[in-house]
Amino acid sequence: MNKVVSIESAIGGNSMAAFDVEQARADFPILSQMVYGKSLVFLDSGASAQKPQVVIDAVRECYETYYSNVHRGAHFLSQRCTDEYEKVRAEIAEFINAPSENNVVITSSVTESINLVAQTWGRKFLKAGDEIIVSEMEHHANIVPWQMLETEIGVKVRATPIDDNGEFLLDSFKELLGPKTKLVAITEVSNVLGTIVPVREVIRLAHEQGALVLLDGAQGIVHQGVDVQDLDCDFYGFTGHKLYGPSGVGVLYGKADVLNSMPPYQGGGDMIEKVSFHGTTFKQPPHRFEAGTPPIAQVIGLGAAIRYVKQLGMENIAAHEQGLLAYATEKMNAVDGVRLVGQAREKAAIISFLIDGAHPFDVAAVLDRQGVATRVGHHCAEPLMDRLGVVGTVRASFGLYNNAADVDRLVAAILKAKELLL
Amino acid sequence: MSTPSTQYEDFADALEMIDDEDMRFEYIIDIGKKVKDVDFPDSLRTDENLMHGCMSQVWIIDEVRDNKHHFRGFSDAIIVKGLVAMMTASFSGLTGDELQEIGTDHVRRLNLGALTTQRQVGMMAMLETFKKFGLTGGGTVAGLRSAGI
Repeated sequence: MNKVVSIESAIGGNSMAAFDVEQARADFPILSQMVYGKSLVFLDSGASAQKPQVVIDAVRECYETYYSNVHRGAHFLSQRCTDEYEKVRAEIAEFINAPSENNVVITSSVTESINLVAQTWGRKFLKAGDEIIVSEMEHHANIVPWQMLETEIGVKVRATPIDDNGEFLLDSFKELLGPKTKLVAITEVSNVLGTIVPVREVIRLAHEQGALVLLDGAQGIVHQGVDVQDLDCDFYGFTGHKLYGPSGVGVLYGKADVLNSMPPYQGGGDMIEKVSFHGTTFKQPPHRFEAGTPPIAQVIGLGAAIRYVKQLGMENIAAHEQGLLAYATEKMNAVDGVRLVGQAREKAAIISFLIDGAHPFDVAAVLDRQGVATRVGHHCAEPLMDRLGVVGTVRASFGLYNNAADVDRLVAAILKAKELLL
Repeated sequence: MSTPSTQYEDFADALEMIDDEDMRFEYIIDIGKKVKDVDFPDSLRTDENLMHGCMSQVWIIDEVRDNKHHFRGFSDAIIVKGLVAMMTASFSGLTGDELQEIGTDHVRRLNLGALTTQRQVGMMAMLETFKKFGLTGGGTVAGLRSAGI
Protein backbone atom coordinates (compact mmCIF):
# COMPACT_ATOMS: atom_id res chain seq x y z
CA MET A 1 0.00 0.00 0.00
CA ASN A 2 3.01 2.27 0.10
CA LYS A 3 3.24 2.80 -3.60
CA VAL A 4 2.81 6.28 -4.91
CA VAL A 5 -0.31 6.46 -6.99
CA SER A 6 -0.87 9.31 -9.36
CA ILE A 7 -3.71 11.72 -8.87
CA GLU A 8 -4.69 10.92 -12.45
CA SER A 9 -5.71 7.50 -11.26
CA ALA A 10 -8.28 9.11 -8.99
CA ILE A 11 -9.70 11.20 -11.75
CA GLY A 12 -9.98 8.46 -14.28
CA GLY A 13 -6.63 8.55 -16.07
CA ASN A 14 -5.28 5.76 -18.22
CA SER A 15 -3.67 3.98 -15.29
CA MET A 16 -7.13 3.07 -14.10
CA ALA A 17 -8.15 1.23 -17.24
CA ALA A 18 -8.71 -1.89 -15.14
CA PHE A 19 -11.16 -0.14 -12.87
CA ASP A 20 -13.93 2.14 -14.06
CA VAL A 21 -15.18 4.04 -11.03
CA GLU A 22 -18.14 5.51 -12.89
CA GLN A 23 -19.29 2.05 -13.85
CA ALA A 24 -18.83 0.92 -10.24
CA ARG A 25 -20.86 3.89 -8.97
CA ALA A 26 -23.73 2.81 -11.15
CA ASP A 27 -23.82 -0.48 -9.25
CA PHE A 28 -24.85 1.34 -6.05
CA PRO A 29 -28.43 2.62 -6.36
CA ILE A 30 -28.28 4.69 -3.17
CA LEU A 31 -25.58 6.96 -4.57
CA SER A 32 -27.87 8.51 -7.16
CA GLN A 33 -30.11 10.18 -4.60
CA MET A 34 -30.22 13.80 -3.51
CA VAL A 35 -29.92 14.98 0.09
CA TYR A 36 -31.01 18.50 1.01
CA GLY A 37 -31.40 19.10 -2.72
CA LYS A 38 -27.77 18.20 -3.42
CA SER A 39 -26.33 15.04 -4.90
CA LEU A 40 -25.06 12.72 -2.21
CA VAL A 41 -21.35 12.45 -1.53
CA PHE A 42 -20.94 9.43 0.71
CA LEU A 43 -17.67 9.52 2.65
CA ASP A 44 -18.68 7.36 5.60
CA SER A 45 -17.88 3.91 4.27
CA GLY A 46 -15.60 3.32 7.24
CA ALA A 47 -18.70 3.24 9.42
CA SER A 48 -20.67 1.14 6.96
CA ALA A 49 -20.34 0.81 3.22
CA GLN A 50 -23.19 1.07 0.72
CA LYS A 51 -24.47 -2.02 -1.06
CA PRO A 52 -24.22 -2.83 -4.74
CA GLN A 53 -27.33 -4.03 -6.57
CA VAL A 54 -25.97 -7.60 -6.73
CA VAL A 55 -25.95 -7.78 -2.90
CA ILE A 56 -29.45 -6.37 -2.64
CA ASP A 57 -30.62 -8.82 -5.32
CA ALA A 58 -28.94 -11.79 -3.64
CA VAL A 59 -30.65 -11.07 -0.32
CA ARG A 60 -33.99 -10.58 -2.05
CA GLU A 61 -33.58 -13.72 -4.13
CA CYS A 62 -32.83 -15.70 -0.97
CA TYR A 63 -36.00 -14.49 0.71
CA GLU A 64 -38.08 -14.84 -2.44
CA THR A 65 -37.00 -18.22 -3.68
CA TYR A 66 -35.14 -20.48 -1.27
CA TYR A 67 -35.13 -19.02 2.26
CA SER A 68 -35.43 -21.57 5.02
CA ASN A 69 -33.56 -22.40 8.19
CA VAL A 70 -30.19 -24.04 7.63
CA HIS A 71 -28.67 -27.27 8.96
CA ARG A 72 -32.14 -28.42 9.99
CA GLY A 73 -35.31 -29.59 8.19
CA ALA A 74 -35.34 -32.45 5.76
CA HIS A 75 -37.10 -30.54 3.02
CA PHE A 76 -36.12 -29.10 -0.31
CA LEU A 77 -35.82 -25.44 0.69
CA SER A 78 -33.81 -26.19 3.80
CA GLN A 79 -31.37 -28.26 1.78
CA ARG A 80 -31.07 -25.61 -0.93
CA CYS A 81 -30.60 -22.82 1.61
CA THR A 82 -28.03 -24.84 3.55
CA ASP A 83 -26.13 -25.52 0.34
CA GLU A 84 -26.07 -21.81 -0.60
CA TYR A 85 -25.14 -20.81 2.94
CA GLU A 86 -22.26 -23.28 3.21
CA LYS A 87 -21.10 -22.36 -0.28
CA VAL A 88 -20.53 -18.84 1.03
CA ARG A 89 -18.47 -20.17 3.92
CA ALA A 90 -16.21 -21.81 1.34
CA GLU A 91 -16.09 -18.56 -0.66
CA ILE A 92 -15.07 -16.64 2.44
CA ALA A 93 -12.32 -19.18 3.10
CA GLU A 94 -11.06 -18.77 -0.45
CA PHE A 95 -11.29 -14.96 -0.28
CA ILE A 96 -9.08 -14.75 2.82
CA ASN A 97 -7.03 -17.80 1.77
CA ALA A 98 -7.95 -19.86 4.81
CA PRO A 99 -6.86 -23.51 4.53
CA SER A 100 -10.44 -24.73 4.81
CA GLU A 101 -14.00 -23.54 5.37
CA ASN A 102 -13.69 -25.13 8.82
CA ASN A 103 -11.47 -22.20 9.78
CA VAL A 104 -14.34 -19.79 9.14
CA VAL A 105 -16.73 -19.09 12.00
CA ILE A 106 -19.82 -17.05 11.12
CA THR A 107 -20.55 -14.36 13.71
CA SER A 108 -22.75 -11.30 13.77
CA SER A 109 -19.92 -8.76 13.60
CA VAL A 110 -16.23 -8.28 14.16
CA THR A 111 -17.19 -7.17 17.66
CA GLU A 112 -18.66 -10.61 18.28
CA SER A 113 -15.64 -12.25 16.67
CA ILE A 114 -13.33 -10.58 19.18
CA ASN A 115 -15.63 -11.23 22.11
CA LEU A 116 -15.82 -14.88 21.08
CA VAL A 117 -12.03 -15.21 21.29
CA ALA A 118 -11.95 -13.36 24.61
CA GLN A 119 -14.67 -15.44 26.19
CA THR A 120 -13.51 -18.84 24.92
CA TRP A 121 -9.78 -18.87 24.23
CA GLY A 122 -9.17 -16.09 26.77
CA ARG A 123 -11.06 -17.70 29.64
CA LYS A 124 -9.53 -21.11 28.98
CA PHE A 125 -5.92 -20.22 28.41
CA LEU A 126 -5.24 -16.94 30.23
CA LYS A 127 -4.43 -16.57 33.91
CA ALA A 128 -3.70 -13.70 36.28
CA GLY A 129 -0.58 -11.80 35.31
CA ASP A 130 -0.70 -12.75 31.63
CA GLU A 131 -0.50 -9.80 29.28
CA ILE A 132 -2.47 -8.81 26.20
CA ILE A 133 -1.00 -6.12 23.96
CA VAL A 134 -3.27 -3.82 22.02
CA SER A 135 -2.35 -0.51 20.39
CA GLU A 136 -3.28 3.04 21.32
CA MET A 137 -5.39 3.29 18.19
CA GLU A 138 -7.75 0.38 18.75
CA HIS A 139 -11.49 0.54 18.31
CA HIS A 140 -13.31 0.00 21.61
CA ALA A 141 -14.33 -3.43 20.29
CA ASN A 142 -10.68 -4.47 20.53
CA ILE A 143 -10.13 -2.95 23.98
CA VAL A 144 -13.19 -3.57 26.11
CA PRO A 145 -13.45 -7.38 25.64
CA TRP A 146 -9.87 -7.66 26.95
CA GLN A 147 -10.54 -5.24 29.80
CA MET A 148 -13.41 -7.50 30.82
CA LEU A 149 -10.84 -10.28 31.18
CA GLU A 150 -8.71 -7.94 33.29
CA THR A 151 -11.60 -7.75 35.72
CA GLU A 152 -12.56 -11.41 35.53
CA ILE A 153 -9.18 -13.12 35.37
CA GLY A 154 -6.58 -10.56 36.33
CA VAL A 155 -4.80 -10.36 32.99
CA LYS A 156 -3.15 -7.08 32.10
CA VAL A 157 -3.98 -5.10 28.96
CA ARG A 158 -1.05 -3.04 27.72
CA ALA A 159 -1.26 -0.43 24.94
CA THR A 160 1.62 -0.14 22.52
CA PRO A 161 2.14 3.51 21.56
CA ILE A 162 1.90 5.48 18.33
CA ASP A 163 3.69 8.71 17.49
CA ASP A 164 2.08 12.08 16.79
CA ASN A 165 1.67 11.19 13.12
CA GLY A 166 -0.26 8.07 14.05
CA GLU A 167 2.66 5.83 13.13
CA PHE A 168 2.80 2.44 14.81
CA LEU A 169 6.06 2.28 16.78
CA LEU A 170 7.56 -1.13 16.18
CA ASP A 171 10.47 -0.57 18.58
CA SER A 172 8.11 0.31 21.42
CA PHE A 173 6.07 -2.77 20.61
CA LYS A 174 9.23 -4.91 20.84
CA GLU A 175 9.90 -3.48 24.28
CA LEU A 176 6.40 -4.37 25.49
CA LEU A 177 6.64 -7.93 24.19
CA GLY A 178 7.86 -10.40 26.77
CA PRO A 179 7.32 -13.84 28.24
CA LYS A 180 4.12 -12.66 29.89
CA THR A 181 2.62 -11.67 26.53
CA LYS A 182 0.05 -14.28 25.58
CA LEU A 183 -1.91 -12.39 22.96
CA VAL A 184 -1.39 -9.45 20.65
CA ALA A 185 -4.77 -8.07 19.59
CA ILE A 186 -4.24 -5.37 17.07
CA THR A 187 -5.97 -3.53 14.27
CA GLU A 188 -4.73 -4.00 10.74
CA VAL A 189 -5.79 -0.48 9.76
CA SER A 190 -6.79 2.30 12.17
CA ASN A 191 -10.43 3.22 11.72
CA VAL A 192 -9.63 6.81 12.68
CA LEU A 193 -6.20 7.56 11.26
CA GLY A 194 -6.02 5.13 8.37
CA THR A 195 -2.61 3.97 9.59
CA ILE A 196 -1.64 0.61 8.14
CA VAL A 197 -0.02 -1.35 10.94
CA PRO A 198 3.03 -3.44 9.96
CA VAL A 199 1.17 -6.58 11.00
CA ARG A 200 3.50 -9.03 9.28
CA GLU A 201 6.36 -7.89 11.52
CA VAL A 202 4.05 -7.70 14.55
CA ILE A 203 2.99 -11.30 13.99
CA ARG A 204 6.55 -12.53 13.52
CA LEU A 205 7.75 -10.83 16.70
CA ALA A 206 4.75 -12.00 18.72
CA HIS A 207 5.20 -15.58 17.58
CA GLU A 208 8.87 -15.46 18.59
CA GLN A 209 7.59 -14.82 22.10
CA GLY A 210 5.06 -17.61 21.84
CA ALA A 211 2.11 -15.20 21.82
CA LEU A 212 -0.88 -15.57 19.54
CA VAL A 213 -2.05 -12.73 17.32
CA LEU A 214 -5.60 -11.57 16.65
CA LEU A 215 -6.03 -9.05 13.86
CA ASP A 216 -9.02 -6.73 13.78
CA GLY A 217 -9.52 -6.63 10.04
CA ALA A 218 -12.69 -4.52 10.02
CA GLN A 219 -10.99 -1.75 8.02
CA GLY A 220 -8.08 -3.72 6.61
CA ILE A 221 -9.84 -6.29 4.45
CA VAL A 222 -11.95 -3.60 2.81
CA HIS A 223 -9.02 -1.61 1.52
CA GLN A 224 -6.41 -4.25 0.82
CA GLY A 225 -7.87 -7.75 1.11
CA VAL A 226 -6.10 -10.34 3.24
CA ASP A 227 -4.19 -13.61 3.03
CA VAL A 228 -4.41 -15.10 6.50
CA GLN A 229 -1.96 -17.92 5.78
CA ASP A 230 0.61 -15.61 4.31
CA LEU A 231 0.29 -13.28 7.32
CA ASP A 232 0.29 -16.28 9.66
CA CYS A 233 -2.15 -14.60 12.08
CA ASP A 234 -3.90 -16.88 14.57
CA PHE A 235 -7.23 -15.06 14.47
CA TYR A 236 -8.66 -12.61 11.97
CA GLY A 237 -11.99 -10.85 12.41
CA PHE A 238 -13.93 -8.85 9.89
CA THR A 239 -17.45 -7.66 9.29
CA GLY A 240 -19.70 -7.91 6.26
CA HIS A 241 -21.24 -4.47 6.23
CA LYS A 242 -17.99 -2.61 5.68
CA LEU A 243 -17.19 -4.95 2.80
CA TYR A 244 -20.30 -3.85 0.84
CA GLY A 245 -22.32 -6.72 2.31
CA PRO A 246 -25.28 -6.71 4.69
CA SER A 247 -25.08 -5.70 8.33
CA GLY A 248 -25.47 -8.41 10.95
CA VAL A 249 -22.84 -10.81 9.68
CA GLY A 250 -19.20 -11.08 10.65
CA VAL A 251 -16.43 -13.62 10.39
CA LEU A 252 -13.86 -15.05 12.72
CA TYR A 253 -11.00 -16.89 11.09
CA GLY A 254 -8.95 -19.09 13.39
CA LYS A 255 -6.13 -21.54 12.88
CA ALA A 256 -7.47 -25.10 13.11
CA ASP A 257 -5.47 -26.19 16.16
CA VAL A 258 -6.43 -23.02 18.03
CA LEU A 259 -10.14 -23.30 17.19
CA ASN A 260 -10.10 -27.00 18.11
CA SER A 261 -8.67 -26.15 21.53
CA MET A 262 -11.42 -23.65 22.33
CA PRO A 263 -14.58 -24.45 24.27
CA PRO A 264 -17.98 -23.35 22.92
CA TYR A 265 -18.98 -19.70 23.07
CA GLN A 266 -22.75 -19.74 23.41
CA GLY A 267 -24.90 -22.80 24.01
CA GLY A 268 -27.96 -23.60 21.94
CA GLY A 269 -29.18 -25.29 18.82
CA ASP A 270 -26.92 -26.21 15.93
CA MET A 271 -23.69 -26.33 17.94
CA ILE A 272 -24.20 -29.68 19.63
CA GLU A 273 -23.67 -33.31 18.67
CA LYS A 274 -25.95 -34.71 21.32
CA VAL A 275 -27.83 -33.21 24.22
CA SER A 276 -28.99 -35.15 27.25
CA PHE A 277 -29.34 -34.45 30.93
CA HIS A 278 -26.45 -36.85 31.48
CA GLY A 279 -24.10 -34.78 29.39
CA THR A 280 -23.94 -32.84 26.16
CA THR A 281 -21.33 -33.08 23.44
CA PHE A 282 -20.43 -30.37 20.98
CA LYS A 283 -19.76 -30.22 17.26
CA GLN A 284 -16.34 -29.55 15.84
CA PRO A 285 -15.40 -26.01 14.80
CA PRO A 286 -16.69 -23.92 13.20
CA HIS A 287 -20.22 -25.10 14.08
CA ARG A 288 -19.31 -25.41 17.76
CA PHE A 289 -19.24 -21.62 17.90
CA GLU A 290 -22.46 -21.01 16.00
CA ALA A 291 -25.36 -21.53 18.38
CA GLY A 292 -28.84 -20.72 17.17
CA THR A 293 -30.13 -19.70 13.77
CA PRO A 294 -27.37 -17.79 12.00
CA PRO A 295 -27.79 -14.63 9.90
CA ILE A 296 -28.80 -16.63 6.83
CA ALA A 297 -29.75 -14.00 4.27
CA GLN A 298 -26.91 -11.79 5.46
CA VAL A 299 -24.41 -14.54 4.78
CA ILE A 300 -25.90 -14.97 1.31
CA GLY A 301 -25.50 -11.23 0.80
CA LEU A 302 -21.92 -11.33 2.02
CA GLY A 303 -21.19 -14.03 -0.53
CA ALA A 304 -22.49 -11.73 -3.28
CA ALA A 305 -20.39 -8.86 -1.91
CA ILE A 306 -17.24 -10.98 -1.95
CA ARG A 307 -17.90 -12.09 -5.53
CA TYR A 308 -18.47 -8.43 -6.44
CA VAL A 309 -15.19 -7.10 -5.04
CA LYS A 310 -13.30 -10.10 -6.42
CA GLN A 311 -14.70 -9.36 -9.84
CA LEU A 312 -13.53 -5.76 -9.58
CA GLY A 313 -10.22 -6.95 -8.18
CA MET A 314 -9.02 -6.07 -4.69
CA GLU A 315 -5.77 -4.74 -6.14
CA ASN A 316 -7.69 -2.46 -8.49
CA ILE A 317 -9.85 -1.23 -5.63
CA ALA A 318 -6.78 -0.64 -3.48
CA ALA A 319 -5.01 1.27 -6.25
CA HIS A 320 -8.08 3.39 -6.93
CA GLU A 321 -8.48 4.23 -3.25
CA GLN A 322 -4.79 5.07 -2.90
CA GLY A 323 -5.21 7.49 -5.79
CA LEU A 324 -8.15 9.11 -4.03
CA LEU A 325 -6.20 9.27 -0.77
CA ALA A 326 -3.28 11.00 -2.46
CA TYR A 327 -5.57 13.44 -4.26
CA ALA A 328 -7.65 14.23 -1.17
CA THR A 329 -4.57 14.62 1.01
CA GLU A 330 -3.04 17.09 -1.41
CA LYS A 331 -6.26 19.09 -1.83
CA MET A 332 -7.03 19.20 1.89
CA ASN A 333 -3.47 20.12 2.85
CA ALA A 334 -3.80 23.10 0.54
CA VAL A 335 -6.73 24.49 2.56
CA ASP A 336 -5.53 26.95 5.15
CA GLY A 337 -6.49 25.95 8.68
CA VAL A 338 -7.25 22.32 7.89
CA ARG A 339 -5.25 19.88 9.95
CA LEU A 340 -5.08 16.24 8.93
CA VAL A 341 -5.04 13.99 11.98
CA GLY A 342 -2.93 10.94 11.22
CA GLN A 343 -0.21 11.20 8.62
CA ALA A 344 1.44 7.82 8.75
CA ARG A 345 3.59 6.86 5.78
CA GLU A 346 1.33 3.96 4.89
CA LYS A 347 -2.36 4.71 5.06
CA ALA A 348 -5.62 3.34 3.81
CA ALA A 349 -8.15 5.78 2.33
CA ILE A 350 -9.32 7.23 5.63
CA ILE A 351 -8.74 10.89 6.46
CA SER A 352 -9.47 12.37 9.86
CA PHE A 353 -9.26 16.13 10.04
CA LEU A 354 -10.03 19.27 12.00
CA ILE A 355 -10.55 22.90 11.06
CA ASP A 356 -8.67 25.22 13.40
CA GLY A 357 -11.10 27.18 15.53
CA ALA A 358 -14.16 25.08 14.65
CA HIS A 359 -15.75 22.28 16.62
CA PRO A 360 -15.74 19.01 14.64
CA PHE A 361 -19.48 18.56 15.24
CA ASP A 362 -20.14 21.93 13.62
CA VAL A 363 -17.90 21.08 10.69
CA ALA A 364 -19.63 17.75 10.08
CA ALA A 365 -23.03 19.44 10.34
CA VAL A 366 -22.12 21.99 7.67
CA LEU A 367 -20.66 19.25 5.48
CA ASP A 368 -23.89 17.30 5.88
CA ARG A 369 -25.94 20.30 4.72
CA GLN A 370 -23.72 20.37 1.62
CA GLY A 371 -24.67 16.76 0.93
CA VAL A 372 -21.34 15.39 2.15
CA ALA A 373 -21.74 12.51 4.61
CA THR A 374 -18.84 12.07 7.02
CA ARG A 375 -18.54 10.75 10.53
CA VAL A 376 -17.71 12.90 13.53
CA GLY A 377 -16.82 12.13 17.12
CA HIS A 378 -14.43 9.80 18.86
CA HIS A 379 -15.09 6.98 16.39
CA CYS A 380 -15.27 4.42 19.21
CA ALA A 381 -11.62 5.13 19.95
CA GLU A 382 -11.64 7.34 23.03
CA PRO A 383 -8.13 6.33 24.20
CA LEU A 384 -6.82 7.47 20.81
CA MET A 385 -8.61 10.82 21.16
CA ASP A 386 -6.96 11.24 24.57
CA ARG A 387 -3.59 10.35 23.07
CA LEU A 388 -4.07 12.95 20.34
CA GLY A 389 -5.50 15.54 22.72
CA VAL A 390 -8.67 16.12 20.71
CA VAL A 391 -12.37 15.78 21.58
CA GLY A 392 -13.05 14.18 18.26
CA THR A 393 -12.35 14.44 14.56
CA VAL A 394 -14.27 14.62 11.33
CA ARG A 395 -13.55 11.51 9.29
CA ALA A 396 -13.86 11.11 5.55
CA SER A 397 -13.56 7.44 4.68
CA PHE A 398 -13.51 6.38 1.06
CA GLY A 399 -14.96 3.38 -0.67
CA LEU A 400 -14.51 1.88 -4.09
CA TYR A 401 -17.33 4.05 -5.46
CA ASN A 402 -15.85 7.42 -4.52
CA ASN A 403 -14.31 9.56 -7.23
CA ALA A 404 -12.31 12.75 -7.60
CA ALA A 405 -15.52 14.78 -7.86
CA ASP A 406 -16.39 13.57 -4.34
CA VAL A 407 -13.06 14.90 -3.10
CA ASP A 408 -13.73 18.23 -4.80
CA ARG A 409 -17.17 18.41 -3.17
CA LEU A 410 -15.60 17.62 0.21
CA VAL A 411 -13.07 20.41 -0.18
CA ALA A 412 -15.76 22.86 -1.30
CA ALA A 413 -17.84 21.90 1.74
CA ILE A 414 -14.83 22.44 4.01
CA LEU A 415 -14.44 25.94 2.55
CA LYS A 416 -18.14 26.55 3.20
CA ALA A 417 -17.69 25.37 6.79
CA LYS A 418 -14.83 27.81 7.27
CA GLU A 419 -16.95 30.60 5.84
CA LEU A 420 -19.92 29.87 8.09
CA LEU A 421 -18.19 28.88 11.30
CA LEU A 422 -15.10 31.07 11.59
CA MET B 1 -51.18 26.04 26.73
CA SER B 2 -48.84 28.41 28.50
CA THR B 3 -47.22 31.09 26.35
CA PRO B 4 -43.45 31.16 26.33
CA SER B 5 -41.54 34.42 26.28
CA THR B 6 -41.75 37.07 23.58
CA GLN B 7 -38.26 36.02 22.57
CA TYR B 8 -39.70 32.62 21.73
CA GLU B 9 -42.21 34.23 19.39
CA ASP B 10 -39.43 36.28 17.81
CA PHE B 11 -37.35 33.17 17.12
CA ALA B 12 -40.30 31.18 15.84
CA ASP B 13 -41.51 34.04 13.61
CA ALA B 14 -38.06 34.65 12.20
CA LEU B 15 -37.57 30.97 11.41
CA GLU B 16 -40.99 30.70 9.82
CA MET B 17 -40.23 33.65 7.56
CA ILE B 18 -37.10 31.95 6.23
CA ASP B 19 -38.35 29.48 3.68
CA ASP B 20 -35.00 27.95 2.81
CA GLU B 21 -33.70 25.19 5.07
CA ASP B 22 -30.07 26.05 4.47
CA MET B 23 -30.79 29.64 5.48
CA ARG B 24 -32.55 28.45 8.65
CA PHE B 25 -29.52 26.35 9.43
CA GLU B 26 -27.28 29.38 8.97
CA TYR B 27 -29.61 31.46 11.16
CA ILE B 28 -28.97 29.05 14.04
CA ILE B 29 -25.23 29.27 13.39
CA ASP B 30 -25.45 33.06 13.51
CA ILE B 31 -27.22 32.94 16.86
CA GLY B 32 -24.51 30.60 18.15
CA LYS B 33 -21.77 32.92 16.96
CA LYS B 34 -23.31 35.81 18.87
CA VAL B 35 -22.91 33.94 22.16
CA LYS B 36 -19.57 34.98 23.58
CA ASP B 37 -17.37 33.07 25.98
CA VAL B 38 -17.70 35.85 28.55
CA ASP B 39 -21.46 35.28 28.65
CA PHE B 40 -20.86 31.94 30.26
CA PRO B 41 -17.44 31.96 31.97
CA ASP B 42 -15.30 28.92 32.70
CA SER B 43 -16.39 29.01 36.32
CA LEU B 44 -19.87 27.92 35.18
CA ARG B 45 -18.63 25.21 32.82
CA THR B 46 -18.45 22.60 35.55
CA ASP B 47 -19.49 18.98 35.82
CA GLU B 48 -22.28 20.17 38.06
CA ASN B 49 -23.87 22.09 35.20
CA LEU B 50 -23.05 19.63 32.45
CA MET B 51 -25.85 17.79 30.70
CA HIS B 52 -24.86 14.19 30.11
CA GLY B 53 -25.56 12.31 26.92
CA CYS B 54 -24.95 15.17 24.51
CA MET B 55 -22.59 14.69 21.56
CA SER B 56 -21.04 18.07 22.27
CA GLN B 57 -20.73 19.53 25.75
CA VAL B 58 -23.75 21.46 27.02
CA TRP B 59 -23.92 23.35 30.30
CA ILE B 60 -27.19 24.72 31.72
CA ILE B 61 -27.83 26.81 34.81
CA ASP B 62 -31.13 27.85 36.38
CA GLU B 63 -31.39 31.12 38.30
CA VAL B 64 -34.68 31.48 40.15
CA ARG B 65 -35.85 35.03 40.80
CA ASP B 66 -39.34 35.96 42.04
CA ASN B 67 -40.33 32.34 41.65
CA LYS B 68 -39.48 32.46 37.95
CA HIS B 69 -36.84 30.35 36.24
CA HIS B 70 -34.16 32.07 34.21
CA PHE B 71 -31.98 29.71 32.23
CA ARG B 72 -28.57 30.26 30.76
CA GLY B 73 -26.47 27.80 28.85
CA PHE B 74 -23.41 27.20 26.73
CA SER B 75 -21.84 24.65 24.42
CA ASP B 76 -18.44 24.12 22.89
CA ALA B 77 -20.01 23.74 19.43
CA ILE B 78 -21.55 26.73 17.64
CA ILE B 79 -24.70 25.10 16.30
CA VAL B 80 -25.54 23.65 19.70
CA LYS B 81 -24.63 26.98 21.26
CA GLY B 82 -27.24 28.59 19.00
CA LEU B 83 -29.85 26.01 19.96
CA VAL B 84 -29.06 26.42 23.65
CA ALA B 85 -29.34 30.20 23.30
CA MET B 86 -32.73 29.87 21.60
CA MET B 87 -34.02 27.40 24.16
CA THR B 88 -32.82 29.26 27.25
CA ALA B 89 -34.12 32.61 26.00
CA SER B 90 -37.43 31.13 24.86
CA PHE B 91 -38.31 29.35 28.06
CA SER B 92 -36.94 31.72 30.68
CA GLY B 93 -39.12 33.91 32.89
CA LEU B 94 -41.72 31.21 33.55
CA THR B 95 -42.83 29.76 36.85
CA GLY B 96 -42.41 26.09 37.62
CA ASP B 97 -46.07 25.47 36.88
CA GLU B 98 -45.91 27.41 33.62
CA LEU B 99 -42.90 25.36 32.54
CA GLN B 100 -44.94 22.18 32.92
CA GLU B 101 -47.31 23.56 30.29
CA ILE B 102 -44.56 23.79 27.68
CA GLY B 103 -44.82 20.94 25.24
CA THR B 104 -42.77 19.41 22.47
CA ASP B 105 -44.83 21.33 19.90
CA HIS B 106 -43.34 24.54 21.25
CA VAL B 107 -39.87 23.19 20.58
CA ARG B 108 -40.84 21.90 17.14
CA ARG B 109 -41.81 25.41 16.11
CA LEU B 110 -38.18 26.37 16.58
CA ASN B 111 -37.29 24.90 13.24
CA LEU B 112 -36.29 21.35 13.88
CA GLY B 113 -36.53 20.58 10.20
CA ALA B 114 -33.04 21.87 9.59
CA LEU B 115 -31.60 19.70 12.33
CA THR B 116 -30.44 16.13 12.56
CA THR B 117 -32.46 13.72 14.67
CA GLN B 118 -29.78 13.69 17.34
CA ARG B 119 -30.00 17.46 17.75
CA GLN B 120 -33.79 17.31 17.84
CA VAL B 121 -33.49 14.75 20.63
CA GLY B 122 -31.01 17.05 22.36
CA MET B 123 -33.46 19.96 22.25
CA MET B 124 -36.22 17.81 23.68
CA ALA B 125 -33.85 16.68 26.43
CA MET B 126 -33.13 20.31 27.19
CA LEU B 127 -36.86 21.01 27.49
CA GLU B 128 -37.20 18.06 29.86
CA THR B 129 -34.38 19.49 31.98
CA PHE B 130 -36.13 22.88 32.15
CA LYS B 131 -39.35 21.20 33.24
CA LYS B 132 -37.53 19.21 35.91
CA PHE B 133 -36.06 22.45 37.23
CA GLY B 134 -39.59 23.76 37.29
CA LEU B 135 -40.77 20.78 39.31
CA THR B 136 -37.95 20.92 41.84
CA GLY B 137 -37.77 24.68 42.19
CA GLY B 138 -34.26 24.99 40.77
CA GLY B 139 -30.82 23.66 41.60
CA THR B 140 -28.20 22.18 39.29
CA VAL B 141 -28.16 19.62 36.52
CA ALA B 142 -26.05 17.35 38.74
CA GLY B 143 -28.60 17.83 41.51
CA LEU B 144 -31.39 16.62 39.24
CA ARG B 145 -29.25 13.68 38.23
CA SER B 146 -28.35 12.62 41.76
CA ALA B 147 -32.00 12.98 42.79
CA GLY B 148 -32.80 10.55 40.01
CA ILE B 149 -35.21 12.98 38.39
